[in-house]
Amino acid sequence: MHPNANLEQLMARYQQGDSAAALALIERLSPPLHRFFLVQAVSRRDAGDLLQETWLRIHQVRHTYRPGEPLLPWLYAIARHIRVDHYRKTRRREMREQQVEVLPEMAAAARGGTEQGPDLEALLGALPESQREVITMLKVAGMSLEEVARATASSVGSVKQKAHRAYQKLRELLRVRADESGA
Amino acid sequence: MNPEPDKLDQILARAAGAEPVAPELVERISGAVLPGLRPVRPMPSAEAMVAALLLLSVAVGAGAAAILGMQGLAILSGAQALLIFAAIGLSGGLAASQSAAEMVPGSKAMANPIALMLGASLALMGIFAILFGGYAMDAFVPQGVPCLTAGLSVALPAGGGAWLILRRGFAVDRAAAGSALGTLAGLTGVTMLELHCPNLRAIHVMAWHVAVVPLGAAGGALLAWATHSLGAKRNAAELMQ
Repeated sequence: MHPNANLEQLMARYQQGDSAAALALIERLSPPLHRFFLVQAVSRRDAGDLLQETWLRIHQVRHTYRPGEPLLPWLYAIARHIRVDHYRKTRRREMREQQVEVLPEMAAAARGGTEQGPDLEALLGALPESQREVITMLKVAGMSLEEVARATASSVGSVKQKAHRAYQKLRELLRVRADESGA
Repeated sequence: MNPEPDKLDQILARAAGAEPVAPELVERISGAVLPGLRPVRPMPSAEAMVAALLLLSVAVGAGAAAILGMQGLAILSGAQALLIFAAIGLSGGLAASQSAAEMVPGSKAMANPIALMLGASLALMGIFAILFGGYAMDAFVPQGVPCLTAGLSVALPAGGGAWLILRRGFAVDRAAAGSALGTLAGLTGVTMLELHCPNLRAIHVMAWHVAVVPLGAAGGALLAWATHSLGAKRNAAELMQ
């Protein structure tokens, strides 16, 4: 049985108006969704707002989920849409205000880490947005390559390539950091 | 030997156990979503939507040609008609599948909408170049403009009808959805032209008939983008009040 089969059943019950199923989905899926937004170089407050906006949109368009289909590609395609919209709005606002802001990637990279090593947000901040997104979906949300391809409207080959490049870059980054701390 | 692969795996594995979200945030979300929760009817299957779109396309294209007259079909040989309508049917099937996929988030994509529009246009141009001759440019524009106008006039109601079929969907990429839908509408216009237009000069068919497809796709994308921008502005204005 697919590990997310239960999620799909919960979603079908949510469509039927079952409040308990809706609450269970919110509780189960909010942490990885919140992480998805945090990793995309937004502040913790913005991540909370985006999470709320995502659930409101999911609620509005819950009839577009087809029972029996995998839930995560549907859910993350919506979350991705919300994030892109937020990014565009932020860019427009920044351009209007004519402020020179720190680039999002740099802002994310500037965040700290823990004693066990750099945290995920800090580490992934060094990656281009598309690679960051793929790694988050694969590793945080636990999606398959096929599911990530569907959520990002791309091919499995393209997802594999992005993941491969991201791993290479992350390993290189960790090696450099290890060398620096050793020196 | 790479010194850090395990560390990377450890960091990514730690991330998989995502930290919990603040309980007040979960409460806020459930407070917004749960009250008055009603059952909803899920979207029909992709196959049903594609079948409805294709039926509409055939009905509008053939219906318009029946009204205007089937002079084009009358002068085509059986092989020519078979090849042309097979190409239109195949492209239409892909465009209908992609249109249906665009309206359900996370659907399996059939083809990139721009590649779909280009592929359909180039395939039709190739077939027309093989089947027909005649590249003289006399009366090129006077004969072409009425065909283009008629093709677009048929594409418009086809696009409107297709939107009605898909209106319950939610497109995460509105321009792509509009483009796929416009391609299908454009192919409906080409169907009518091939049934109706008796001008088989290659240059005429390749330029003026096929042009309905990219123009339909561009119009669909533009319309989708404009309605989205208008909706966004209206939302922003409501928020400001």
